[in-house]
Amino acid sequence: MTCNRSLIGALVASTALMLPTLAAAQEITIVREVDSNNYDPQRSVARAAAEALFMMGDTLVSLEPDMQTVSDGLAHSWEVSDDGLVYTFHLKEGVSFCDGKPMTADDVVFSLKRWIDPATASPVAWRAGDVEDIVAIDELTVEYRLNAPFSELLYQLTQSFGTIVDRDNVEALGEDFGIAGFNGTGPFCWVSWAPRDQLVMERNPNYTWGPSFYENQGPAHLERIVWQVVPEASTRTVAVLTGQSDITQYVPHIAVAQLMDAPNVEVVRSDEAFWTYFMGFKIDKDPVADPVVRAAMNLAVDQEAIAEDLFFGMVEPAFSYVSQAVVDWDPGLDDRLLRHDVDEANRMLDEAGWERGADGVRVRDGVRLAPTAYIFAGSTWGGIAEAVQADLLKIGVAMEIEAFDATVAWGKLATQEFDMFGMSFPYITAGETLNLYFRSQNVPTPNRMNWIDERTDELLRTGMAATDQEAQFAAYHEVLGKVHDAAVWIPIFHEPMIIAYRADMAPVVPHNNYGAGLYKGLDLRFLD
Amino acid sequence: MIETIVNRLLLSIPVLLGVLILGFVLVQVAPGDPARVLAGPMAPPEVVATIRERMGLDDPIVVQFMRYMGRLMQGDLGRSLISNKTVISELGAAIGPTVELMFACLIWSIPAGIAMGTLAAVWRGSLVDRVIMAFSVAGVSLPIFFICLVLIQYLGVKWQLLPFIGRGGPLWTVDGLRHIALPALSLGLIFIGPVARMTRSSVLEVLRLDHVRTARAKGLSERAVILRHGLRNALIPVITLIGLQAGYLLGGAVVTETIFSYPGIGRLAVGAILSADFPLTQGAILVLALAFILINMIVDILYALLDPRVQKK
Repeated sequence: MTCNRSLIGALVASTALMLPTLAAAQEITIVREVDSNNYDPQRSVARAAAEALFMMGDTLVSLEPDMQTVSDGLAHSWEVSDDGLVYTFHLKEGVSFCDGKPMTADDVVFSLKRWIDPATASPVAWRAGDVEDIVAIDELTVEYRLNAPFSELLYQLTQSFGTIVDRDNVEALGEDFGIAGFNGTGPFCWVSWAPRDQLVMERNPNYTWGPSFYENQGPAHLERIVWQVVPEASTRTVAVLTGQSDITQYVPHIAVAQLMDAPNVEVVRSDEAFWTYFMGFKIDKDPVADPVVRAAMNLAVDQEAIAEDLFFGMVEPAFSYVSQAVVDWDPGLDDRLLRHDVDEANRMLDEAGWERGADGVRVRDGVRLAPTAYIFAGSTWGGIAEAVQADLLKIGVAMEIEAFDATVAWGKLATQEFDMFGMSFPYITAGETLNLYFRSQNVPTPNRMNWIDERTDELLRTGMAATDQEAQFAAYHEVLGKVHDAAVWIPIFHEPMIIAYRADMAPVVPHNNYGAGLYKGLDLRFLD
Repeated sequence: MIETIVNRLLLSIPVLLGVLILGFVLVQVAPGDPARVLAGPMAPPEVVATIRERMGLDDPIVVQFMRYMGRLMQGDLGRSLISNKTVISELGAAIGPTVELMFACLIWSIPAGIAMGTLAAVWRGSLVDRVIMAFSVAGVSLPIFFICLVLIQYLGVKWQLLPFIGRGGPLWTVDGLRHIALPALSLGLIFIGPVARMTRSSVLEVLRLDHVRTARAKGLSERAVILRHGLRNALIPVITLIGLQAGYLLGGAVVTETIFSYPGIGRLAVGAILSADFPLTQGAILVLALAFILINMIVDILYALLDPRVQKK
């Protein structure tokens, strides 16, 4: 009898254990691949930081999901002086931090100056432009004064680096700011962070100042969000399939079809994600100094096959250096882009005097067509580089691959040791990309191509300082044409934003600012 | 007994020193540059060089090791290069979940292993014996990651009985129990095999001894003979094995915690290694080594308690 009772007790206990706990209706778990090193907006460049900071904080202006339209943020309106040197932002009234303290123009000034302060050592301070001063005119007005016009400024101010922080909070936490806590003005407030495990945030009940392009400007529908780090791709996938996670943008490409077929999961995709993978050339190093070689190598690579075979058709093959959907893309370039054509590539190399040796690898004047490519270690770049290597062999180019751990790779990529390199990057505009990668002063990094060209620098200065869009676009179009014609990169693919979420949630609109698919999370909610 | 404990403690010192030296050297030769990690990916080479100099990374390795030992003696393990949290606080947050996982694993797998081994011994040669031994061999042979994935597939995905991500909460909460169930089950399955096999052979050996025959001759029930006179004496080698295997469980926990995204010391160590967080890696190695030494010391002491001959030796 005692035995039977124990057995029944054990059965009841184990059944209770296996029943799902009743989760709070308005709480979601978001699974993601990696964590950030910290959540200090002015110090971290990690996408994982941006994902959370957009929710826990606000920027002066925001970016709509089309990735082109700058909308209101903490500022409800703004004016730009005719010479493009002074931006005047008018702040929304009644904005407060999570702890209830009102947010004022002084906080804006402190945050933006902290971004560019050399003591902060922000790796992205350049994104704030050449600042002369940032001044609080009154409690609700801020003047952003530049030494030189910066046509990209509003776009840059939408990034998480421009998040407005609480001076008292920064000073109180010191080195632990963004580690032990974060007091922001966003729709969600910091609760706790266990590095590499989970970040928990709760709804800011006072939040009513969300960007106007959101259906809901606040407070958020969800009460609590748990950002759970799950490094294993297969575990993330089944977590969404089984409802243990409610949403993720870190969907392995192999699993997208499976998730699309699942009745309890919805998958949404946006091609306006603006995250491009490419392989670049050091244009002054043999054997890739020859523009014919670079163009032929571009023609040899089969981007469509890579997209289909390696990424199951879930990425967009790239032929342009930035997405053709960016606001300042030049449609006139569409017909000039290099597309897969092995015969033409072979013909070009033959004509240029590159002859095949006994091993099939081409040689000219004693120089062997065997460039060394540095890439990041890991399955993504490993797969891409091997596919490119196989394609290049078809035209007699023996690319040698050297893979480095990320902690070593950045240092290696700042040297002149290699001929080619693999890289991926997020962006909003072509102008931003060109200013980052093609300015002479940015050699050796991030201008790893050693692209030193006075005309390019002049055009980039013109584009950056232009106060009318026509002049700005004209300058950038010319640079786009120059670098595409010189074949300084082999574009591989544009990565779309793919978000998988529970079918009983309202449709999710993917956002793409710095790759943060859920942006402010204001419209995330369960269906009634 | 005190002498035994003191001896074990003294013997632990050179072992710990060896682990510290080995861990330090391994971290030094591993790919990755702590200065680059600290400076960030976009930092120019001169900034990285300044940080290298500030951190003393250009000093000879012996100087660096002595500096590390000096800080260690003061209880300073440094700060994580990634999170800037103190290594001690990061380790402190991860030790609790791992201890819970070990406890949840051992609490069911030790009794299960002993029970299975005893049953196999009592019904030696029967179908029960063969099934139990086949199960034990599978537990010993199958890699832990495979067991984890199979359990996730069936208990987590197909039947959706248990969660398989994260911790959920402390062990004494329902959510904590639900979340720890699958990792503890996975880890326990690799533990049962050796325990069951050792128990079986040990019980078989004891059942042949004179005192067991005497007990039977006295007219005791078979159950009393096995439990009181057989199993009790058979447990001494089993306890030794449990101690040794508990140490190896720490290795299994590294894989299990990673697959189940369980925030313990194993996952912390993997994360630290992958992100080239050297101070945290060294701290995790130190904690794992200490745990291994501690477990073995407890086993030695238990062994001495159970078998007075060991103390005499």
